[in-house]
Amino acid sequence: MAVASDLTLDRVDGAATRFADVVAGVRAVAVFVHADCPTSVLALRQLAAAGADVVVVAEEDVLGAARLGRKTGVRGVPVLAQPAPHDLSRELDVTTVPSAVVFDNGVEVDRVVGWDAAAYERLLGVALPGEPRTKPGCGSRWTEPEESGGLDELEDMFSRGWSDGLPVVPPTRERVDAMLGSRDPQRSLGRIPPAHGEATLERIAACAVLAGCRPAYFPVVVAAVEAVLDPAFNAHGLAVTTQPAGVALVVNGPARDRIGLNSGMGVLGPGTRANATIGRALRLVLTLTGGAAPGTLDRSTLGSPLKFGLCIAEAEETSPWEPFHVERGYDANTSTVTAIAADAPLSISEHRSRTPEELAATLGWAAASTWSPFWWPMDDTSLFVVCPEHAAMFREVGWSKVRVRQHIYDEVVRPAGELKRGEATPQVWASADDEPIHKWTTPEKIELIVAGGEAGRFSAVLGPCDGMGTKPITKEISWST
Amino acid sequence: MEYVSPFDERAREPIAPAQRPQDLRGATIALLDINKARGNEFLDRIEEHLRERGATTQRYVKPAFSRPAPEELVDEIAASADLVVEALAD
Repeated sequence: MAVASDLTLDRVDGAATRFADVVAGVRAVAVFVHADCPTSVLALRQLAAAGADVVVVAEEDVLGAARLGRKTGVRGVPVLAQPAPHDLSRELDVTTVPSAVVFDNGVEVDRVVGWDAAAYERLLGVALPGEPRTKPGCGSRWTEPEESGGLDELEDMFSRGWSDGLPVVPPTRERVDAMLGSRDPQRSLGRIPPAHGEATLERIAACAVLAGCRPAYFPVVVAAVEAVLDPAFNAHGLAVTTQPAGVALVVNGPARDRIGLNSGMGVLGPGTRANATIGRALRLVLTLTGGAAPGTLDRSTLGSPLKFGLCIAEAEETSPWEPFHVERGYDANTSTVTAIAADAPLSISEHRSRTPEELAATLGWAAASTWSPFWWPMDDTSLFVVCPEHAAMFREVGWSKVRVRQHIYDEVVRPAGELKRGEATPQVWASADDEPIHKWTTPEKIELIVAGGEAGRFSAVLGPCDGMGTKPITKEISWST
Repeated sequence: MEYVSPFDERAREPIAPAQRPQDLRGATIALLDINKARGNEFLDRIEEHLRERGATTQRYVKPAFSRPAPEELVDEIAASADLVVEALAD
């Protein structure tokens, strides 16, 4: 039986404390745990739910201990951090977690190893009704053989929660500094909803490193964050909604060639590092810095593959129309990124039409069931990605983008009576049965860009985040450091 | 190894919930409809129950369900009510 140690540990609330002082007094129960041990997590959850009076000793650094406390709902009791080399566990010969070490006036009088609800009830005088009642513990960290460096580091990223579920590049100081270049690390672009984490350039750079970006991509990531922080984008609503909505980024101008963004074959992914990692970096800023992690503040019922991130470049050279950013008021030689709140892409096969009217009708009617089949009109942006072969058909007959947009709008119309089913709009319910209702409130809700491989007649539509009141936002990409 | 955290730890600290009153008699309760369809029906029923228990109620509506309530609305509710019930219907 051991005597309480004189070792000093950090508490997660910031104070450094002698262990002996924390367990002084008539009776104190110190519960040793670590975050990779499911039995430890089980024990903390049950003890927290019962409001048990214990001292938690986590074999973690301070941030890890705080995370474990938050994850398990521990409140109102001391949580001590015991980073490697875990001297306290060694000194008290704690070889298994969880272990409850009971002190009476600073001297150990009892010990419970593993999870044993009945034993804890006896020790603490609380009811612990949860299941299971018993569960074997895990090895204390100091007893585990050291793992190889590389694998351990990648696993560490997952345990910190610095991931979207896929492995990440560890954001070492050296890598983050390379991403930042000479930019001011503490410059903030604002607070990212819903948790309102401060988007300093340093944190954005950390996300860009995690995502796998090269430093050359960083200006695009910064502009994308600026775009979603525009109040008109409504990043808050998008982050927390039950919709499966994500963000589509469209890059225009010289930036595309400068950093090797794909606007051609397979543009919607996967396969090109710049596209994949820029889209992913923005998502990591939203989920990690902004706190919109799925299942926590992100309440999306289904989620979406789009939520891993999407960044595409427009094939301006293939397009019959002026580039998307020029249409939005920028100079052709300016590089921009446009953020559009969107649903996942729906592909549209159209190999048979012989007239632009037929083609526009197919594109438009493909979107008729987006959002919800009887919800007409939709009042947010739909993004059509028109493939080069389809674009060429419009080019041959000289159809402007305005004309294509108007034709889609005019074509996709149904009498209100056919729409009075299930999720229909108040406008439909209030209309006479023969009243024509369009799928969009105005043609301007239909956005078109050109991208994709030169062969094949597959375009796509990204449905809207209806009801979010979100607008596409374009920001200039600044190359200066 | 030194890593740069993507987290803003300040934004991740839990906020303790406000004290709950033991009795609703005489309390002023704000009923906030977030402005989704049929939230008012839910609040109508809640309002009946609260009044039966001796509470005074005030009704508020957020301008848009997908955005946070404006600060002026939050301040107004905080200044005039003891409790708030927020209705999310769908």
